[in-house]
Amino acid sequence: MKAVKYLLLGLIAAALLAGCGKQPTQDIDAAKAAVDTVAVDAEKFAPEDAKVIKDSLQAAMDEVKTQDGKTFKNYDKAKDMLTKVKSDADALKTAIPQKKEAAKNNAISAQDAAKTAAEEAKKLLAKAPKGKGSKADIEAMKADIKGVEESLGEVQKLIEGENYGEAINKANAAKEKADSITEQVKQAREKAGKK
Amino acid sequence: MIRHFIKTLLLFSGLITLGCSTPPIPPEVKLAEQQEHNLWKAEAYKYTPERYARYKDAVRKGRDDLIHEESKFSWFRNYRAVESEFKDILKDGNAILKEIQQAKDAKSRTTESQISIFENKISVLKELTSMINEGRLSRKDITMAEIILTEAKHLYEKGDYADAEKKIGDMTSYIKSAENALLPILIRYTDKNQIAKWKGWVEDTISESRTKGIYAVVVSKIERSLILYKNGVPFRIYRVGIGRNGSLYKLHAGDNATPEGRYHIVRKLPKSRYYRALLINYPNEEDKKIFNDSKRKGLIPSNTGIGGLIEIHGGGKDGMTYGCIAMENKHIEELYKIIATGTPVTIVGTMDYENRVSSTLKSL
Repeated sequence: MKAVKYLLLGLIAAALLAGCGKQPTQDIDAAKAAVDTVAVDAEKFAPEDAKVIKDSLQAAMDEVKTQDGKTFKNYDKAKDMLTKVKSDADALKTAIPQKKEAAKNNAISAQDAAKTAAEEAKKLLAKAPKGKGSKADIEAMKADIKGVEESLGEVQKLIEGENYGEAINKANAAKEKADSITEQVKQAREKAGKK
Repeated sequence: MIRHFIKTLLLFSGLITLGCSTPPIPPEVKLAEQQEHNLWKAEAYKYTPERYARYKDAVRKGRDDLIHEESKFSWFRNYRAVESEFKDILKDGNAILKEIQQAKDAKSRTTESQISIFENKISVLKELTSMINEGRLSRKDITMAEIILTEAKHLYEKGDYADAEKKIGDMTSYIKSAENALLPILIRYTDKNQIAKWKGWVEDTISESRTKGIYAVVVSKIERSLILYKNGVPFRIYRVGIGRNGSLYKLHAGDNATPEGRYHIVRKLPKSRYYRALLINYPNEEDKKIFNDSKRKGLIPSNTGIGGLIEIHGGGKDGMTYGCIAMENKHIEELYKIIATGTPVTIVGTMDYENRVSSTLKSL
């Protein structure tokens, strides 16, 4: 009878221990790979999402570590967490190209607007009234437009380097300058009686 | 027997259940998690990078200690140390948040002041370029600096002070380049010895006008003025234009600079390309001496001549001649009628120690 008792106790202990599992290495690898794949672009185009995903991965790894230290291991929660990290990273990976494309389009729009403004200033300057006291101003404004054009070259480089936010800022600043040159020429024309 | 077995089973299950139940994790752990995110959002990595790194290390250690506790049987778990650790972390995090705010406030003030300083600098440089007709060498750089400054202003308005400050740093090379192009031209107008020499010429010319009872002409390049003296007293003042590189010292033909020195009218030209003209005797002996010295030193190409045909003429005070002094037609008409061949003409950079350039340079 005693033997039956110990046998039963042993079976119960075995059943409890059966709840313990092995470290979910596949889930860990899959989640880490998914995060690594998306990390670089996400940090550039969705930094907050990138931070959340990285933190979630760390939390999942902490859960794994917690279970590693337990006698009766249960990785179910860690597995769920890792699965969620992977699915969030995959979702972000799908969303990033759209975000990237939108940022690129915005940068190109800003660049186009600045280019148009510079061309307009240049055209207007070519028709600027020449004469008393204006030659020096025209020469200075021509150099100003060169500065705008050179800055637009930098905008192009920023776009090529996928630094869209910086490209937009520079393009907008270049446009402001080009518009101010146009305004100066317009005022000079009005002064000279030309419309 | 069965009753005894059930009792043992219940006791064992109870112990197991107790062992598996989780005592509550201190709420500070969750709060620290949120706080770390807030610090990141507040850009702690930009404003307090070292302290933020230490904070993150502390959070990591706290979490490892928590994991260590959680790994124990519930009987042996004790979160008091972890709780205390996370309380310290929260305290430090709050202090970092304050420090970030202070750093942002300080950076906001310094960035604002830098923006204002550079706005003034750019405006002064632009003013100087127009004073000396120097658009080609420096205006492109000034414009590029102006564009970067606008970028910095946009970033500042968005509260991104660190990046705004970085932009200002990017701008300084363009400012420096513009200054380097302008200062060699401008520095002569602040040189006390040079100005004293010019003043001496002017005083001698006025004295000659007074003692001989004649007209005399004094042209000040930087003031863009032509003063006609009669018996040593200013009689007329006209606005004039000078050469494209008029602010420079004329060394040779084609440099488009306006000469400096004591000259006189050698010929009156009633019909000129620029209405009427008064030819002066450039180059004089001193011009020739300086030209020959410069050529010997290799400062001037060997096949270059000294130039000539420097006139005071009409055509408007455009300010972009080949080196001549240009006036409005009605003014040259007036001057042409008044002065005779042989009238002294003195051309100087400036007559004042406190001239337009020197006072503008002071605000640079």
